[in-house]
Amino acid sequence: MLLSAEKVAKAFGSFKAVASADLHVEAGEIVGLIGPNGAGKSTFFNCIAGDLRPSEGRILFDGVDVTNAPPETHARLGIGRTFQVPATFEDMTILENVMVGAFLRRPKRGAARERALEIIEMTGLGAQAQQRARSLGTPGRKRLEIARVLATEPRLMLLDEALAGLTPGEIQRAMELVREIHRLGVTLVIVEHVMEVILTLARRVLVFNQGHIIASGTPQDVVNDPKVIEAYLGRGHGRQAQR
Amino acid sequence: MRRGWLALAAALLFFPWLVAGSNSAAFLQDMGALVLLAAIGASAWNILGGYAGQISVGHAMFYGAGAYLPLLLYQQWHLPPLLGVPLGVGVSLLLALVVGLPTFRLQGHYFSMATIAVAELIRIVVSNWDFLGAAIGLQGPAVSQHWWDLTFRSAVPYYYIFLGVLAVLLLVTWHMQRSRLGYYLRAVRAGERPARSLGVPVRRYKLYALMLSAAFTSLAGSLYALKTGFVDPDSGLGILVSVQLIITAALGGAGTLLGPLLGAAILIPLQTATNTWFGGSGSGLTYIIYGTIIVLIARFEPGGLLDLWHHRVAPRLNKRREGRHAA
Repeated sequence: MLLSAEKVAKAFGSFKAVASADLHVEAGEIVGLIGPNGAGKSTFFNCIAGDLRPSEGRILFDGVDVTNAPPETHARLGIGRTFQVPATFEDMTILENVMVGAFLRRPKRGAARERALEIIEMTGLGAQAQQRARSLGTPGRKRLEIARVLATEPRLMLLDEALAGLTPGEIQRAMELVREIHRLGVTLVIVEHVMEVILTLARRVLVFNQGHIIASGTPQDVVNDPKVIEAYLGRGHGRQAQR
Repeated sequence: MRRGWLALAAALLFFPWLVAGSNSAAFLQDMGALVLLAAIGASAWNILGGYAGQISVGHAMFYGAGAYLPLLLYQQWHLPPLLGVPLGVGVSLLLALVVGLPTFRLQGHYFSMATIAVAELIRIVVSNWDFLGAAIGLQGPAVSQHWWDLTFRSAVPYYYIFLGVLAVLLLVTWHMQRSRLGYYLRAVRAGERPARSLGVPVRRYKLYALMLSAAFTSLAGSLYALKTGFVDPDSGLGILVSVQLIITAALGGAGTLLGPLLGAAILIPLQTATNTWFGGSGSGLTYIIYGTIIVLIARFEPGGLLDLWHHRVAPRLNKRREGRHAA
């Protein structure tokens, strides 16, 4: 088991954003996390990434307890993440952005630069390598975030709505990139609103609602689950689906 | 590019000779030395404030440590002031550790406020401590007895000492900005959260930047004390010392290699001019100029003059030149 989150809960004061969620991911899997807005999936995701400390529960990565470890430890162990709102280093060039990630495994500048250039080519940003990150549009920024994480050579990659806000054509290209990353042997956990992405890429899907995991299974099982339909579309639709 | 560097190096190297024939040679040479001193202080602050984006408004504590130690050794034990220079660096490094460990938990203006508080606390303690000269301050040797007193009548030897230290500092900074440390510091400035997610141990790297910055700021303080032969709580530890470091770096371009030198080359002559034109009453004008510069930089060009040149002026000039070629 590569990632094992057991009974993870996160409360902000009296508000419980995540209540006892479990997630087990085998190496090589693509797992999707979906749910309506405010369901708790981003909070759960941030707990796995080390950005938030869970109030309860335990998170193991490749047998190492990372429940209370800071994000830099996660990165060192091989967990990489992207952000819902791209957090690129605006004043740095695309090459420099990716080099920051590459320095994690390659402390020498020449080696980091070489690796960063390879990844920039792979992610389709080669032509813009010397441009500042702020010159990129949303699709470019999302690609840059993925490139930066790839440069850290992760074993597990957490994609937080990495394809949101893209046009259908851009989504297709981004999905191809995700498949390529998966072919490289990287395990993926994807939080996504674009159902097409989840249905196409993920082999297993977990559905969050009001801080709880209400369903899990193959994408087809999950989309037909009355509880899921109810969570997304309301109680009436859930009953109709049950009939 | 290489030609530009050579021209700059030559101009700096030959400046005292170039102005030697002028009627105000001594004045200009002294101003040249002061520009270099200001550039050293601002370049030192720039490592933390410019590259890492941690706006310390308390760097006077390191400047003061560097300024006080050489004169303290001389006044209390008649030891050569030069011995106090490494001691000042040592004390500054210790201070950086003590201040950095707790304050780097804070971000943004909270960090700035914490540095002001610590620096002011130190200034108040020193102002009331007779051993350190209290409010009167400390004095160095009036007349040079040995070469290592570093007490010269002419400003030219100071000019070359300052130039040497600045060259070392710029070399260290250049090396830093090309290394992992430089990339990490710029990433920290851009966003701590994404930097951490890429494996950057943010607090550790901020501490490295603070220690490097503190060591060179202390050196600037020592050079100031050796040149003027005097330090008191205001000139060594006052908040305006910190403010001047910040403004000098920000005016030229914080987070750039030559920005602080450019800022010093503009600010020091301006400051000297206002003091000369308006006499004693002109000293207040300096602060009005500081305030105006802060407002102008913050409103129109946060990247400073070098940024203005690289991203606004130079591209326009290039376009015009290309247009002329095309015609």
